[in-house]
Amino acid sequence: MIDRRASRAIGMRRGVATALVVAVALVGAACGGNRSTAKPSTSSPAVSTAGSGSSASLIDTSNCPPNTDTTGVSGDTITIGTSVAESGTYAPFSAILDGEQAYIDYTNANGGVTVAGKKYKINLVAKDDQYVASQTVNNVNSLLNDNHVFALLDVVGTKNNLAIRNLVNTQCVPDLYAASGATQWGNHQYPWLIGSELVPYPLEVRRFVDYLEQTKPDATIAVLRANDDFGQSYADTLTQMVKGTKLKIVQTQQYDSAGSQVTTQVNSLASTKADVFFLGATLLACPAALTAAQNAGWHPIIYMSGTCVSKVLFSIAGAAANGVFSVTPLLDPAAPVNASNPAMQLYRAQVAKYKPKADLDDGIVGYGWTTGALFVKTLESSPSLTRSAVMETARTLKDVSGVGLEIPAAKWNTSANDWFVGETFQFIKYDANAKHTDPVGSLTNDDGQTAKLTPSELINQ
Amino acid sequence: MALFFTQLLSGIQDGAVYASLAVALVLIFRTTGILNFAQGEMALYSTYIVWKLTTGGVPVWLAILISIVISFVGGAVIERVVIRPVERASPLVVVIVTIGMFLAINSLTQLQFGSGEHAMPSFYPQHTWRPGGVLVSSDTIALVGVLGVECLLLYFLLQHTKLGLAFRGVASNPESSRLLGVPVGRILMVGWGLAAAVGALAGALVVPTTTGLVPSSMQQILVFAFAAAALGGFDSVLGAVVAGLVVGVADALTTGYIHALHGIDLLVPFGLILLVLLFRPSGLFGSTRVERV
Amino acid sequence: MTRTQQQAIRLVIAVIAVAVVVQFFAWYFPTHYGPTDTRLFASAMYIGVAAMGLNLLTGYNGQVSIGHGAFFGIGAYITALLMDHQYSWFGLNFGHQNFLSTIPTVAVVTFVIGALVGFPALRVKGLYLALVTLGLAVVFPDLATRFVKGTGGTSLVSLTSTELAAPRWFPSQLSAQDQWAYTMAFAFALLGLVAVWVLARSRFGRSLIAVRDHEAAAASVGIDLARTKVTAFALSAMYAGIAGSLSVLVVQNASGDDKLVTFQTSIEFLVAVVIGGTATVVGPLIGGFAVVYIQKWATDAFPNKPIISPATFGIVLIVLMYVLPDGVVGGGRRLRGLAGRTLRARRRRDVNPAPL
Repeated sequence: MIDRRASRAIGMRRGVATALVVAVALVGAACGGNRSTAKPSTSSPAVSTAGSGSSASLIDTSNCPPNTDTTGVSGDTITIGTSVAESGTYAPFSAILDGEQAYIDYTNANGGVTVAGKKYKINLVAKDDQYVASQTVNNVNSLLNDNHVFALLDVVGTKNNLAIRNLVNTQCVPDLYAASGATQWGNHQYPWLIGSELVPYPLEVRRFVDYLEQTKPDATIAVLRANDDFGQSYADTLTQMVKGTKLKIVQTQQYDSAGSQVTTQVNSLASTKADVFFLGATLLACPAALTAAQNAGWHPIIYMSGTCVSKVLFSIAGAAANGVFSVTPLLDPAAPVNASNPAMQLYRAQVAKYKPKADLDDGIVGYGWTTGALFVKTLESSPSLTRSAVMETARTLKDVSGVGLEIPAAKWNTSANDWFVGETFQFIKYDANAKHTDPVGSLTNDDGQTAKLTPSELINQ
Repeated sequence: MALFFTQLLSGIQDGAVYASLAVALVLIFRTTGILNFAQGEMALYSTYIVWKLTTGGVPVWLAILISIVISFVGGAVIERVVIRPVERASPLVVVIVTIGMFLAINSLTQLQFGSGEHAMPSFYPQHTWRPGGVLVSSDTIALVGVLGVECLLLYFLLQHTKLGLAFRGVASNPESSRLLGVPVGRILMVGWGLAAAVGALAGALVVPTTTGLVPSSMQQILVFAFAAAALGGFDSVLGAVVAGLVVGVADALTTGYIHALHGIDLLVPFGLILLVLLFRPSGLFGSTRVERV
Repeated sequence: MTRTQQQAIRLVIAVIAVAVVVQFFAWYFPTHYGPTDTRLFASAMYIGVAAMGLNLLTGYNGQVSIGHGAFFGIGAYITALLMDHQYSWFGLNFGHQNFLSTIPTVAVVTFVIGALVGFPALRVKGLYLALVTLGLAVVFPDLATRFVKGTGGTSLVSLTSTELAAPRWFPSQLSAQDQWAYTMAFAFALLGLVAVWVLARSRFGRSLIAVRDHEAAAASVGIDLARTKVTAFALSAMYAGIAGSLSVLVVQNASGDDKLVTFQTSIEFLVAVVIGGTATVVGPLIGGFAVVYIQKWATDAFPNKPIISPATFGIVLIVLMYVLPDGVVGGGRRLRGLAGRTLRARRRRDVNPAPL
């Protein structure tokens, strides 16, 4: 017999008991509460002598939350944060962290960074986002609310930075040197985000198109691109750059960026017998595409995204990577000709010391090292240790050279009309027998060109 | 025309990749009646073993053999230690356990072997022939060949040996089998060990063709392997192979020829699976379950 | 004291206890805990909402789905796009809406899509259905990547602070963005919970269970199999869609374009259902908390080695299944039974769902 009332009582008791258990568990787990209504006060930094509060500044701080300009600076420590894929499919990008941390450790070991006359140590807090944009947002919120970081450095990924740009702009937090060559970082609505020394995609593409116009002006081009925004940027830019030339894109194929299956696509592209193979791809898809092209008996002129310039990826491709073109803003650690360069020697010695497991020949580690160095240089050049002053300094870099593995003759500049750092770079070609890249032609100086070359719809997205 | 055959062969190669892992999934289902989410990661670990041995100078074929043996033992141990305690519980519970294993094995693989990408050697020479403009790669031949041999061996094992009979008995009615003296526990262990060994072989063959071993190497394959196992019928090894090839070819031909679907070409293989299942709810070759009222 | 009086007293105590708990979470928690805690709690709640919906389908009705991440993504995109963009279709202008006004659209659209998916699901059963739903989880991100034009031209839709902020009529002590997100998540979790409670006790709930346990018998007593199963799908999709909308407030964007993430989300929902207790009302909500907080604990326990946290979570899952195979709520029930209470009420048989 069904005892209705009893079963209802049981149900209610069950519900109450469960609710109480939940309540007790949660209250027990987080006793007291930690919501702060006041912004954390920090010790004031050394007084600046020049430039602060100038009316001609690029950064408008009128809408910023009050009393946050010196967040993250306490005593003689500056805390900064980053969010990068440390696990998951894009884990190879975590090599950036090795280089960055090594530079910071090296700086700290030598007394720290001097800003406006005072010395500070740098503390880098890294969080894993597995390249997933939502996780980047969670990480940055946590970095801001829990770790009270002064600024963000080298956050990896175009979508990842797009996901946080509203946040950093509203809260006036410098998102420095975002690891992405996307053109969206030129959008003047978001002054608190600046891209890193990675070559902006339009400049990469234009350099290659120039090369083609000199060597094979009527070439046909077959394109393989990732099916995400990364691949889209390359495809859009290439289409833009070949307008008005005799170059023709004959076929474009997409591959799934979650994997690296490209054989079918490359076979299709190979059947067009195009003169040029343009790869808007990254990670394992690069060597896979190179190998597939070789297997198909297709020997076109090949251009590969700068993000694929990595010793491991080249070695996986083996002979299929011979003669591939790309660009780099930095010295190639694997090239013997750079071995005697003092900046290279410093890099190798210090990274070996602080991150012994890192692969010194890996360009990605070198990139991290250099971005760390650029950050320190920005701090040193800043008139005062406030978020707005540092952001302003990053926006007004003047002839910055000799930073990390920056190419010796290069000078990095940013200004009110030039929001991109990495506009000076070297066109390179890979030698599979010697296992390193060689420069092709002289240094390309496209300072200030990104904004001019790129249609405003692509920048102001 | 040559391009069509090239794409067809490329699809067959991809299909053989999916089929290899699907066979392992089917073996687990045939013995323990569950879907093993962790199959891909078990195969991943085995593949890393092969890689590690080859960097130590062991010839590739020997490394693969060693990995197969280790995986067999590993699979049996996993069944005994991890799966046995929840065998009697609801299938959903076992699925959650395999999901837990998926996460754990992937992490532990990375902890032990690192998270970077590595080149993976194959035990046969790499060559591409071009008869009449059609690209025939040694990868395709090796994958299809090994898959074929594997299927023959498994068929022989499952249909013509006592062990095979025991598998079928245990899968359909473990209680009666136990009463008849069949060592059910040991059979289950052998079943898992066999599946793990098949997975190890699959990984060792497949990963070199994807140019590079990374911790996520098996994850995309796993989705297609699930799809192939469903399409073919979860309790049919032959079904897994045929379905794998169908899925591979469907995907390759869609990518190669239906440009309107660029970027969303997964729609075709999965749409195909749905269609087939609508008409044959137990897959192409699966045995239909009779429900007694 | 008569039985009725005893029950009345118990009822009053229960109501007071529930009121205290609700008050704590509705008011004390968001005003005393920082944004990181409120956001985490909110994410546990929306996962719980999706899990409650999935439970209707999988726990009560026995249809396993590992594709509900797709419905979640659809809900997230609809809310984010309606809040951020302006549209003009067939002469109708809409867009730049506030959060709450997007919910009806999300509910209707995901309900309909869920029903559409439910129809072919009538023919496909068990493990095969699970794999067809996997197809959903895998194909949706590709569709999103191809067709969604969001922030910066990518398939990510990121919202501005103004769009994410609490509306003006909202009490000012709870008007910080994270508090607003928290309150919405809490409100919908409560609503969803009450709805499930009502559904489970209704005739529909009973027919769900009947269909799960024995289709032929259910049909023979006049239950419309197709309507029951399709409605279960539609409702579960709606819950997942609303959970997606809530996630937009918490993570400040919608990005359903990553296959692995959609797959992972689908699995999280299923894990939450099983950990909490299949075919229980409050189990999946607890499961949502378990999934979120165990993962957080796993990440915090090893701050320098992010690789270990998935392993830790995986091992915890396995152990939980050994110790509490009926889930937290189901296991609790069993423990109480062991304590020897004897009641002549019919024991619920919805503890072990039908085999896959």
